[in-house]
Amino acid sequence: MSSHREAPAISKDPVADNTDTYAWRTPGNTVTIITNYLPVEAPAGGPNFYEFDDTCAYNVNIDNDGDGKPDITYQFRFKTVITNPNTFLYNTGPITSLDSANWNRRQTYKVTKIEYRRGRKPRTTVLGRGLASPPCNIGPRSTPNYASLASAAVADLGSGVKVFTGQCADAFFVDLGAVFDLATLRPFQNLHLIPTAAADGRDALAQANVHTIAIQVPIADLTRDRKVPTDPMSPAAVIGVWGASYRQKARIRSRDRGWNGTGPWMQVSRLGNPLFNEVIVPMARKDEWNASSPADDRSFAKYVARPELAALLPVLYPGVFPNLAALKKDRADLLAVLLTGIPSGLIPGFQNFTGTTQADELRLNVAIPPAPTPNRLGLLGGDLAGFPNGRRLTDDIVTIELRAVAGATYPLVDPTFTPDGAVSVIEDGTFNNPGRTFRNAFPYIGLPYAGYDVPAAM
Amino acid sequence: MDPVTRRSFLIKGSAGAVGAAGLAAGGLALSSAAAADTEEPDLQPGEAADVPGTVLVEIEDAATGEVKILVGEREVSFTDTALVAKVLRAAR
Repeated sequence: MSSHREAPAISKDPVADNTDTYAWRTPGNTVTIITNYLPVEAPAGGPNFYEFDDTCAYNVNIDNDGDGKPDITYQFRFKTVITNPNTFLYNTGPITSLDSANWNRRQTYKVTKIEYRRGRKPRTTVLGRGLASPPCNIGPRSTPNYASLASAAVADLGSGVKVFTGQCADAFFVDLGAVFDLATLRPFQNLHLIPTAAADGRDALAQANVHTIAIQVPIADLTRDRKVPTDPMSPAAVIGVWGASYRQKARIRSRDRGWNGTGPWMQVSRLGNPLFNEVIVPMARKDEWNASSPADDRSFAKYVARPELAALLPVLYPGVFPNLAALKKDRADLLAVLLTGIPSGLIPGFQNFTGTTQADELRLNVAIPPAPTPNRLGLLGGDLAGFPNGRRLTDDIVTIELRAVAGATYPLVDPTFTPDGAVSVIEDGTFNNPGRTFRNAFPYIGLPYAGYDVPAAM
Repeated sequence: MDPVTRRSFLIKGSAGAVGAAGLAAGGLALSSAAAADTEEPDLQPGEAADVPGTVLVEIEDAATGEVKILVGEREVSFTDTALVAKVLRAAR
């Protein structure tokens, strides 16, 4: 979760596995978008520490006209170099700068902006090349001032665009060990069909790293009319965001250089709304979903309309969800939240509707200003700047989606429906992790855990 | 996908065979000798250098002669039953 190893094929290709996508409005009339890869990195995973793949293309896609297709893409491509061919070590001394001679294996990257224009060839602009990713966080002797390395790796590309790529602490939190043990929620497992004593939740990602691609761009670069909207009810105020990775159709083993790709690029992973492929799409179609375009998500809508999890909850928690069990209609609330955006008229002063095309995109109404005090429950908590209006690093996705599937959002489309009492309290209990920290400036996501500090494999 | 004539395929296919021309049917490598047996003229100087990286030839459907070539970032499709027959016989 939210999309860590969520489908059979991509679970065997972790360096291309998009784990989470975040998009939220940030100060200075900007949007920050983060897409993470490489699920559940053990910080001590040396001597070949984690890195992006030179043969993979990583895209941040933006749809600003509601057709489920990208109008703007920021593509990231990486290049790995070994500076010292005579050592097995990642570093031969402390790495104190991004050009340290002690750092043996390093990555640079190129950022290309692609603008798709109807009836014409896409316009391609290289925004930056030779940009440095920082090393992985190894420990106090190898990366003694990691914060300065990470800070030095933030690149200002001009025109208000900043980028960062590299290892970070996974911002997502979830009790994986429990939820995949027949949807157990430890704080409420005394009510489970197979009961045990209630307990605190345990965040399986509490000390896991990921590899982050982060970009901050002016709002006016992303909207359909190239303006900064001020009216949240304007259709032009909403953008759809998703991350995706691509591999060339064929890979050929080289005798001395690993893999080479040839042929057209094919999508192997994507992520808009968290948990969509993870808990909505049946296992038999998860690989197909990863390879398909949001524009074609109509064929997956039936799984949103009748989510499997909504049927399981009353079975696994007998007597706890009687109103949910009695709800037999299509879930128009979830169809709106996940596939079209929430139309106006349902939540006062808010909409993130992109039209009738059903497409899994993280929809962000950029006219909604950042909340001074974010509520971890986002819209469910009355905070219009939080998920599912985009997604912030601190949004409690598991709780929000769990409650939504359990019926919390159904009154939006049927005011006569009363959610079960449990809906307002259920959660997996992993939000309060004091070890989870964030940076107060771009890229905001926390510094990675050091291998020396987290020596045990998770 | 770009259209291609049999002649242009064979020119590029011959060049690719020097690197690695894999076959979906049997997964065998197409030898340069096999390609050289075609009636196509030899490559002119510089033609091989025009081919970016590895060229992979895939027989999509042996019955219909449908062939796909993966080259650079492109996929080129065409039909040539005679070529498919020759390739499959060479792969035995």
